[in-house]
Amino acid sequence: MNKLKKSLALVATLAIASTAFYACGTTSTPAETQESQESVTEESTEESETEESETEASETEESKEEAVADIALPETGDKLSILCWTPDDVTKMIEHFEKANPDYAGKCEYVNVGSNGGEAREGYANYFAGGEDVDLFVLEADWILEYINNDEYTAPLSDLGFSASDFSGNYAYTVAIGTNNDGVLKGASWQATPGGYVYRTDLAEKYLGAKTPEEMQEFVKDWATFEETAAKVKKDSEGKTALVDTLGGLWQVWQYNRSTGWAKDDALIVDDYCKEYAETAKKYWTEGYVTKEDQWQDGWYAIGQDDSTLGYFFCTWCLGEGSMLSNAEGGEGGSTYGKYAITAGPSDWAWGGSWLAVSPNCDNGQMAHDFVKHFTVDEATMEDYALFKGEFVNNPTVMEKIVNDKSNSNKLLGGQDQFSVLFESAKGINMDGKITQYDAQIKAAFNDAVTKYAKGDYASYDDMIAAFKKEAAKIEGLTVE
Amino acid sequence: MATAAQRRIKSVSYAKYGYFFILPFFIVYFIFSLWPLLQTFVLAFHSNGARTNLTFVGLDNFRTILATPAENDFKAMGIHETFWKYMKNTVIIWVGNFIPQIALSLLLAVWFTDLRVKMPGKGFFKVVMYMPNIITAASVAGLFLSLFGNSSYSVINTLRGPDVEPLKIITDMWQSRVLVMFIQVWMWFGNTMIMLMSGIQGINESLFEAAEIDGANTHQTFWRITFPLLKTIMVYTLLTSMIGGLQMFDIPYMLHTGNVINEHIATVAVFVYEMFHKNFAKPSFGYSAAASVILFVITSILGALVFWVQRDKDAMEKAKKRRQAIKEAKRKAKGGGFSI
Repeated sequence: MNKLKKSLALVATLAIASTAFYACGTTSTPAETQESQESVTEESTEESETEESETEASETEESKEEAVADIALPETGDKLSILCWTPDDVTKMIEHFEKANPDYAGKCEYVNVGSNGGEAREGYANYFAGGEDVDLFVLEADWILEYINNDEYTAPLSDLGFSASDFSGNYAYTVAIGTNNDGVLKGASWQATPGGYVYRTDLAEKYLGAKTPEEMQEFVKDWATFEETAAKVKKDSEGKTALVDTLGGLWQVWQYNRSTGWAKDDALIVDDYCKEYAETAKKYWTEGYVTKEDQWQDGWYAIGQDDSTLGYFFCTWCLGEGSMLSNAEGGEGGSTYGKYAITAGPSDWAWGGSWLAVSPNCDNGQMAHDFVKHFTVDEATMEDYALFKGEFVNNPTVMEKIVNDKSNSNKLLGGQDQFSVLFESAKGINMDGKITQYDAQIKAAFNDAVTKYAKGDYASYDDMIAAFKKEAAKIEGLTVE
Repeated sequence: MATAAQRRIKSVSYAKYGYFFILPFFIVYFIFSLWPLLQTFVLAFHSNGARTNLTFVGLDNFRTILATPAENDFKAMGIHETFWKYMKNTVIIWVGNFIPQIALSLLLAVWFTDLRVKMPGKGFFKVVMYMPNIITAASVAGLFLSLFGNSSYSVINTLRGPDVEPLKIITDMWQSRVLVMFIQVWMWFGNTMIMLMSGIQGINESLFEAAEIDGANTHQTFWRITFPLLKTIMVYTLLTSMIGGLQMFDIPYMLHTGNVINEHIATVAVFVYEMFHKNFAKPSFGYSAAASVILFVITSILGALVFWVQRDKDAMEKAKKRRQAIKEAKRKAKGGGFSI
């Protein structure tokens, strides 16, 4: 009896103690699992061996057909795991990809890492440390450099069998951003993200008499005209309607239009551009040319339905089903559903953008190759996806074809084809040499300072810049003078 | 009569199994608490901007945080000013939430334990009052953001009507601080109340009965019996609340819109988190760790201070006298007197 008690106590203690080492176990590497699988098959009967050799033969045939280049990454995993911070894109992509490749049906998996880009920026590194399956993951323009310059996190696309020439059909700026400091291509984008001014057609007609997007464009063709229009709308609506949705929206257009990068040789650049934007923002805020709402909050969408704003600065990924425009219209059956139209606006601009990167631990080399090819190289599937998702795909030839064929119409825009407007804007996009690895943080700090300045928290522009410099100086590695 | 065998069994000690049972805790504690704790002290003296190959920099991190920075040294200015601004916020928010919280909890605890108060559904109220503590801070922050948001469409601004300038509670300095204080009180008063109640219930009931027979009113009973005898538990509450308050993180961190933290309510813990977390490619572990160490020192000093103020003077006096008596006796014994 005593012995039983003792041994029970010992077992219980060990059981509890063993939980202490729960997270410390090593996950079996793909090579190990492969070995164990092999050993299992060795034990199995002759029949299955012959089966195996048959499948092997068919596989080699397939790979002969493909015969693009060597895929350095193994094909041992059973699932292609794609990490992103929002299901909007990746789930649609998986749906489209699996439909086109029935062999891969059910083999692709979307993994959520954080609820916005900023969270994913940190979330990925933590996720990788956990040792879970990662094949592909999505990077955002503001912080892509942190990842593609780190070989621990990203493998070159050549490991998936791609060469630089495969992406010659893409918008050049996306290839430039996907290339790291050593000139290695590590990110492929499936989209270009030009933006425009999306406005309420009924309000535009009421206050400005503009009946078509072309007529509307005349009222917003450059910043001087834009400001005049804002004043007119404000006056005629008796202060009710603002021309711009939020300061955040105005900022998105401006942040793209900075002619230099935010830093050069790791030193922060503060120039006339900063002053110009700060004063513009302050003027828009105090004159009521923007609403007092914040971007990404409930109010941002609510103003789209109650005449508080005449329009939004939206880009390609804001215009699809279930996206920001859809929310601003109150969804299907909403009070302003389909009452919007798009025009180019005062200047060309782009907002964000997403790149597919491949993990060095990718264990589905072939499937990852096919996936990346499907959305960034293969023109036929890209065109199909553009119409399927309403995506502005990363290929000018494809987009031009869609515009010329007039095959796209957007219900949210009352049937207008947003691509015809945005295709022209996209020609002007150039981010070459303008992005730095500090962008995410510098921009957040600058926008925060300007917003406070506009709202009157700082007595003068110099006070604002001093506060901004102190905030930016906290970024390790960036020098501020 | 017990046989020899029975006696032997009786003398078997199970004490060593006790050690086996507490072993798991200590293993977990050493790996997940003590090691990181010591590591924090090590990191506080090392450089920033990397995850590996950190160099020893001595007191540089502490100097940057504490010393007045040189003119035009924006980095030092940013770090120094942020730290002290956040420290000020921490103290303001803690004081502003502790005083109303302890007052409210004490009042409710006295009511709930008073024999003369015959309130129906005491258990129900206790549970309801404890409830906010169970909700995760993230949900609470989300709830209050939609109730008190800056937007004209938030609950509070909707109630104020369409033609009134919307309140900007979330970004305004004092309004946001008061909101955080309120949330902290709301979340924690139930917890403090339960603790104080257990303290009151620990007081001998006959004292209350005697007071009642002697004709003491509730006021007198509270100030002459409950309050003095509750001192120990009050000190405990003060200490835990102070330590928790100095480390306050979740609500101040989450109660903001956009991707920049509200500087009027951010606490030192938020500073610690932001310094190493925000710039994930080049984390500033050194500044974070140094700030943690500073916080640790402040907490220790305040803790010691609380104990010093609340020390039992009578007991110390008695101990002193006892020591003196022993000395006296010893001296006498040496001097030729006789000892027992």
